[in-house]
Amino acid sequence: MTRKNINTSAFILLGFVAFGLPLVLRSPTYLHIIILLYLYAYLTTSWNLVGGFAGVLPLGHSAFIGIGAYASTILSLQYGISPWLGMIAGGILAAIVGILIGLPTFKMRGAYFALATIAFGEGIRVMVENIDNLGPLKINGPRGLQIPPTHIGFVNYMFEGKEPYYYIILVMLMGVLALTYFLSRSKIGYYLNAGGEEPEAAMSLGVNVARAKLIAMAMSSFLTALAGTFYAQFTLYIHPKSVMSLDFSFEIAFIALIGGRGSIAGPVLGALLLRPVSDFSRIYFGSTLPGLHLIIFGTVLILVMIFQPRGLQEPLSKIYNTLLDRISGQTRQGEVKHEYS
Amino acid sequence: MNFILEGTINGILMGSIYGLTALGLTVIFGVLKVINFAHGSLIMVSMYVAYWAIIFTGVHPYIALIIVVPVMYFFGYYLQDIIIKPIFKAEKDIREPITVIIVTTGVWYILDNLTLLIFGPQYRNIQNNPLRGKMLEIGDMLISVPKLWGFITAVITASAIYWFLQKTRTGRAIRATSLDREAASLMGINQFKIYNIAFGIGTAIVGISAVTLVPFYNIFPTVGVLFDIKGFIIVVLGGLGSIGGAILGGIIIGLIESIAPMFMTATWAEAIVYGLFLVVLFVKPSGLFGVKYDW
Amino acid sequence: MNILEINNLVKDFGGLRAVDTLSLSIEEGEILGMIGPNGAGKSTAFNCIAGVYAPTKGNVYFAGKKINGVKPWNLCKNGLARTFQIVKPFRTKSVLYNVMVGSFVTTDKTSVAEEKALNVLKILSFENKKDERAGKLTIAELKRLEIARALATEPKLLLFDEVMAGLRPAEVDEMVQIIKKLRDQGITIFVIEHIMRAIMALSDRIVVIHFGKKIAEGPPQEVASDENVIKAYLGDEYVVS
Repeated sequence: MTRKNINTSAFILLGFVAFGLPLVLRSPTYLHIIILLYLYAYLTTSWNLVGGFAGVLPLGHSAFIGIGAYASTILSLQYGISPWLGMIAGGILAAIVGILIGLPTFKMRGAYFALATIAFGEGIRVMVENIDNLGPLKINGPRGLQIPPTHIGFVNYMFEGKEPYYYIILVMLMGVLALTYFLSRSKIGYYLNAGGEEPEAAMSLGVNVARAKLIAMAMSSFLTALAGTFYAQFTLYIHPKSVMSLDFSFEIAFIALIGGRGSIAGPVLGALLLRPVSDFSRIYFGSTLPGLHLIIFGTVLILVMIFQPRGLQEPLSKIYNTLLDRISGQTRQGEVKHEYS
Repeated sequence: MNFILEGTINGILMGSIYGLTALGLTVIFGVLKVINFAHGSLIMVSMYVAYWAIIFTGVHPYIALIIVVPVMYFFGYYLQDIIIKPIFKAEKDIREPITVIIVTTGVWYILDNLTLLIFGPQYRNIQNNPLRGKMLEIGDMLISVPKLWGFITAVITASAIYWFLQKTRTGRAIRATSLDREAASLMGINQFKIYNIAFGIGTAIVGISAVTLVPFYNIFPTVGVLFDIKGFIIVVLGGLGSIGGAILGGIIIGLIESIAPMFMTATWAEAIVYGLFLVVLFVKPSGLFGVKYDW
Repeated sequence: MNILEINNLVKDFGGLRAVDTLSLSIEEGEILGMIGPNGAGKSTAFNCIAGVYAPTKGNVYFAGKKINGVKPWNLCKNGLARTFQIVKPFRTKSVLYNVMVGSFVTTDKTSVAEEKALNVLKILSFENKKDERAGKLTIAELKRLEIARALATEPKLLLFDEVMAGLRPAEVDEMVQIIKKLRDQGITIFVIEHIMRAIMALSDRIVVIHFGKKIAEGPPQEVASDENVIKAYLGDEYVVS
């Protein structure tokens, strides 16, 4: 078999496994864990559009999760609008906010940009915590909004078991991965990479770097907000500390960084490696050794940054490629190298 | 009317303490050009060190400076040397390495949670210290005595650091490195040794600020988080690398925190601080007193 | 037709006048060289044309249209490309990727951009390195990459900023041949250079800048023996009078 065929077959196999998993894995607890795993993989991949491709370090992305969650929830609770439509509305709102944030901040240097996104993220959270009602809209400040589990059905984005949620987030994850894949091979992807690496050179080559970054930001914030709606419908309770917290923003960014930002598989890999660690240490050591998962997280962060600053996907993908070479007897040739690993 | 004056004075006093906590940060940020996200954790660690020093020896809190300052100096020195230096070496030609931000966040997570694990989540404070709860009466205003001590300490420390940076050889080397690290190393200054020293000094200052807080502030594993973000806001407000800027920036924050709640909820006051921060970032990123560096 | 025209260009940085009432023009298909002692204002003038700075006074015209303060990416789309004195390759990407970024000016499709980029690499005899990571190239190769990228944008006017700096004599000669080839393809060239052997061999005309002002203009031989030029470079003692 050719190298390309093996690669494609591997992906198809992976797809089968992913779709078939709920038929085999019956425990709702484990399904819940995997659903959250996919959610994080989705969030980190969406974050990657700005944090990886555009080359900056946004640390306030949870604000978009919050915008998505609150938008669809308010629209459905108060006006009876289907959360699916509310999800799109939330996405558009998030994209607008993202562009507004990006306009002044993309001009800043790395450290300042990071601080500005933190300030925006926290600023938005603090405002939501302070507001009980915004005109006719009930926001409820720090107490948050609860979604009563009535009206089961697709239109209401509400289901009995965990399986439907599993498939929704799986499809979303595959969608966003496909988007990233095609983006990286498209003109805008090239422009983003160029602008992120050497903005002056890119500009002299016809790249409107600022505009490319804003486009990336709009896409990223839109997609992130969609996950906010998913989160709201899945957990049925949202409040500022859960959907808009600094910790959430940091977690997304750092998982993507450990996995390898700028690459397609990196963020997913990061989520795959770190979320189980986080979950298991919380389940088994939560009461005896509180905070252990954060200590592990912090240590991994430091070690990865010292030894593999471009993320773990670099060595892992080298291993994968060597494996492919061995099995197929061929080497990677003839493709334009879109990402270097 | 006196109510507002009292609030203003206490706000300035507390603000100067905030400024003192941010002073170490501005030295580190100014020299190494990195965001040290472990800053808050360093404050927390210093507070615990000060706490235990005072509990075990029973001395007046400010005497604990003798222990806290050297301990924190070496803590910072070796933190930089062992964990942060390797990153710098790997990313030598990037002007402000983002990786260091990530690494210092890892340090933050580890320090905070290790402290939680070892010492538990309970709030501690030093009940019987000679400064606790003491008030100075001026007219019918009550001025907080520990905060007054803090103010005096802040002014002395800021002046001492200023003198150090301007007049001593090491201080000048630090300033040279912060302006242009390559040129400085060409002048025979060991870049990495300077970083270690700068980090050590920054952390020692953090230690001093912790001693001023310990008489009246609660001590718990995540106490640093509050000071972390505030610290960056102050540093940006005042201008990175500016000593006077750090103290003045702190005073501004202290004033907002003490006066605004008279007219709005405390959380709106928080929102104002963030808003002010963003305005400064956009309008004058070099801060109120910072020099416009090209970086 | 004058593809580039500069009228009384002035550029001030605070109190410093870097470019002082500079006027020059370039005919289509010419190779114009600009020389001058260090700090004379060559790069500043260059950057005023390339959209990095907006002129303080005076006007720059490209193909008849005023381009004062037009952003670099828009200039590039209109056919004005430049290289950088300190090379700025996209180090983590391959040579082909680097050049494709330039090709995307003329197309939206990746496959077309890839084809065009390969052609450019062929013209510069560089296609054997197409999959090399840019960060691993030698300085001569990097300079060639700078040219390739700029060439990929299909420019009418190419600005070269000390593209020979750091090259060995043999490499310089190679580069001169490449640039001449580009002119034969119909591209107008404006070169800033310090390396005399290159600029004398390349230029149809040379402009000499000193303290931001033009002090001589003409064919290479004329300029080389111009009194003011010798004075500027070597000092009064060397002028043979």
